[in-house]
Amino acid sequence: MFRFFNLWFISSLLVSIFVIIPIFTVFTSFFENTSDYYELLKNTFLIEYITNSLILLIFVLIITFLIGTGTAYVVSFYTFPFCNFFKWAIILSFAVPPYIYAYSLTAFFENYGTAFTILKNLFGDGDYNKNIPKFDGMLGAILSISFSLFAYVYILTRASFLYQSQNLIELGKNLGFSKFRSFYKIILPSARPAIVAGLSLVAMETLAEFGAVDFFSINTLTTGIYNSWIAFDDLAFANRISFFLLLFIFALFLLENLSRRNAKYHLNVRSGFKRKEKIKLSRNKSYLAFTFCFLVFFLSFLFPLTQMLYWTIKFPENLFDLNIFILLKNTLYLVSLSSFVLILFSLLSNYGNRVSKSKTLNFMSTLSISGYAIPGVILAIAFITFIAWFDESIVKLLGFTSIKKIFIGSILGLVLVYFVRFYSLAFNGIKSGYEKINISVDESAYLLGYSKRKTFMNIHVPFLRNSLLFIVILISLEIIRELPITLILRPFNFETFATTAYISASEDLLEAAAVPALFLILIASSFILVTSKYILREINE
Amino acid sequence: MSKNFFEVKNVDFRIGGKTKLKDVSFTIENEGDVICLLGPSGIGKTTILRTIAGLEKINKGSIELNGIILSSDKTYIEPEDRNISLAFQDNSLFPHYTVEKNILLGTERNNEKKEKKINLKEIVDLLDIFHILNKYPHQISAGEAQRASLARSLVAQPDLLLLDEPLSNVDQSFKEEIQVRLKKILNKLKITTIIVTHDSYEAFYLGSKCGIILDQRLRQFDDPYKVYHFPNSVEVVHFLNRGILIPAKVTGENSLENEDLGLIEGNFIKSYPKGSDVQLLIQPEDLEHDDNSNLKLEVVDRKFRGTNFIYTLKTLSDKLIPVLVNTHHHEIHEINDKFGIKRPIRLEHIVCF
Repeated sequence: MFRFFNLWFISSLLVSIFVIIPIFTVFTSFFENTSDYYELLKNTFLIEYITNSLILLIFVLIITFLIGTGTAYVVSFYTFPFCNFFKWAIILSFAVPPYIYAYSLTAFFENYGTAFTILKNLFGDGDYNKNIPKFDGMLGAILSISFSLFAYVYILTRASFLYQSQNLIELGKNLGFSKFRSFYKIILPSARPAIVAGLSLVAMETLAEFGAVDFFSINTLTTGIYNSWIAFDDLAFANRISFFLLLFIFALFLLENLSRRNAKYHLNVRSGFKRKEKIKLSRNKSYLAFTFCFLVFFLSFLFPLTQMLYWTIKFPENLFDLNIFILLKNTLYLVSLSSFVLILFSLLSNYGNRVSKSKTLNFMSTLSISGYAIPGVILAIAFITFIAWFDESIVKLLGFTSIKKIFIGSILGLVLVYFVRFYSLAFNGIKSGYEKINISVDESAYLLGYSKRKTFMNIHVPFLRNSLLFIVILISLEIIRELPITLILRPFNFETFATTAYISASEDLLEAAAVPALFLILIASSFILVTSKYILREINE
Repeated sequence: MSKNFFEVKNVDFRIGGKTKLKDVSFTIENEGDVICLLGPSGIGKTTILRTIAGLEKINKGSIELNGIILSSDKTYIEPEDRNISLAFQDNSLFPHYTVEKNILLGTERNNEKKEKKINLKEIVDLLDIFHILNKYPHQISAGEAQRASLARSLVAQPDLLLLDEPLSNVDQSFKEEIQVRLKKILNKLKITTIIVTHDSYEAFYLGSKCGIILDQRLRQFDDPYKVYHFPNSVEVVHFLNRGILIPAKVTGENSLENEDLGLIEGNFIKSYPKGSDVQLLIQPEDLEHDDNSNLKLEVVDRKFRGTNFIYTLKTLSDKLIPVLVNTHHHEIHEINDKFGIKRPIRLEHIVCF
């Protein structure tokens, strides 16, 4: 038994250390001397970074709240044409990362863009450019991020509606409330913890967002970190900005945890779940509901998809210029390697937690999953900072050759940082799978003469198989969309769909960005389709 | 080597570093005996079973089965090496196997070693679970799950079977029937069994010995008749909730006196010197009803129990006394009525503290 204990302990310890490194690095760098830029930037840009990040955050939160709870409410409580389709189609918006949404917005509304072409084909030549609204700058970034992230709010809110033990609408009617009054008096408050949890996720992602914000040239804390690294080559300053961003995120993290504690309590009433009759809407109202959902589905998914498709067809030479096969191979390589490592370690520490019931182990796991809250940019920069420091002060001191090449600009480094970023996804996924197996199931197995190994292989693994599959797909989805970490740490000449799209777009070759973007959307959508049932926590009676 | 089949000697039972029970000792003399442990919820009954099964360790005392020490402060045999079966109170079926496969897993360990005394069909019939064999654990009710795990434990034909509240989720209407069947099968298979329950009737019916666990201790361990009629402490009386204690003065070798009921005669199970003040146990079936008696008390409550009524009577000194009356008794007494008690009062056993 002791031998096993050591294995879990070591793996949990290792993971915790991985996660602590970036946080620690950011913290220590805060007290380091930086180049002269710091004073200059502190007085000028820092305020701008913070203001922009805040503006972005507030508006994205408002929009995602409105769209997310609105669609969840309509889909959960009413029947109208295609409501069962929208139920899962709305989460397809996850397949379009904010930066690709940003490319689509620009491609459509820019001067002589797609909107212009449509108008020209409809009404003949004309000076339409003046009259076509421009969605760029801050507005563009807000819209791109909102339409890409609102599904977090949708999924959690809908789940909370589903698990209500009573039909809240009927309850409202019984109390003599109007529909609107029961919405904000009963339904909304009842889902409050879920909504807050969803919004916190949106907030963390928004603060971490890099691609779209960079595309619209808005200076936020995230782009500030990236730029001070790439333009000024000032790691210390990058880490200083990271410190501010981490403060923000820490506050959000606390908020989210506080609200999730409630949400958990809230969702616990499993046995009380009954499939509730949905309310049939009158004809006009059902059209209204349909229009609302369709609009959201169209704007968040169909619009960027068709825009990218249109450009791919319009400029087919881009399709042939690109080696899709290599991109696909690279993406799959990253995905399978990362998934394997992630699953292996999270299985180990989950199993360790379960069997040893050790408090230290439990604490380490809690610590280990905090990597999710740290923006990719910070993780990547902090990782480079740490390796550079380690190389300078320890490896060289001991007289070994530099290890920089092994970790920076290598697949190993990339996978390591992915690991930190997505560990919580894998860990929590397996944890919730394990929570469904009563601990007495293990004990029964021992009493039937099963060894610990046999219990793990014959009982746990088959039971967790579905969870594992689901986790692999979620990880893949995240890695396919991931931009900053890949961009900063990828080996020379190693491209994925995301980086190819980003590079073309940043070189003002939006048409060329369309092909990889289209493939990215298609692959991500197919993954979402496979897992939509899990994501929506559908209950099969 | 002790000659008892199973023996718990001076064990402190602990769970999660907290001592639940202190210095517990009891024995099962013969292979095939069934004993029951009774106690309120949370007292540590489950901890006893878990410890015997090897899921918890001990650091004081010893647990021996068939002359082999399973657990002590020095020895510890892993649960998978004990051949002890524990049917958990909650659903411990393997969620990814059907009920049938779950039950069959129970037979795996002893497939070759033991002759088959019972086949699957017999157990399935006995516990009436044929209709759920092809279902998965999440598709069946809590009571069905309990019967399925009972079946899994039974087919394992373990050296020692531990049942934790085995019928707590089974419907009341079905419970008695299952109890009868369970008793029959345990007898037939001669499986030594420890049953934990908070239902005293279940314990009295199934066990050849009963242990009462209260306040971190095993208070009484005796055959059911003795536990019921001769509780050895006030705490056991209160726990079994079978009667009340009234003050009385011993007036002779076979008699005592209470200010409300007057003279009471019977056989003391423990002798007291004449003149001593004692607490006398009055159980519902001790007093007899007699409409013509001149000893009349006020009815404050009446419980209908199917075959009988239990009247609660108030004495002049505000004591509440339960009296059992057969349902066929022609006259029903309402609350606030006067209720006659037959005199002279004679008790089969006089239990005093």
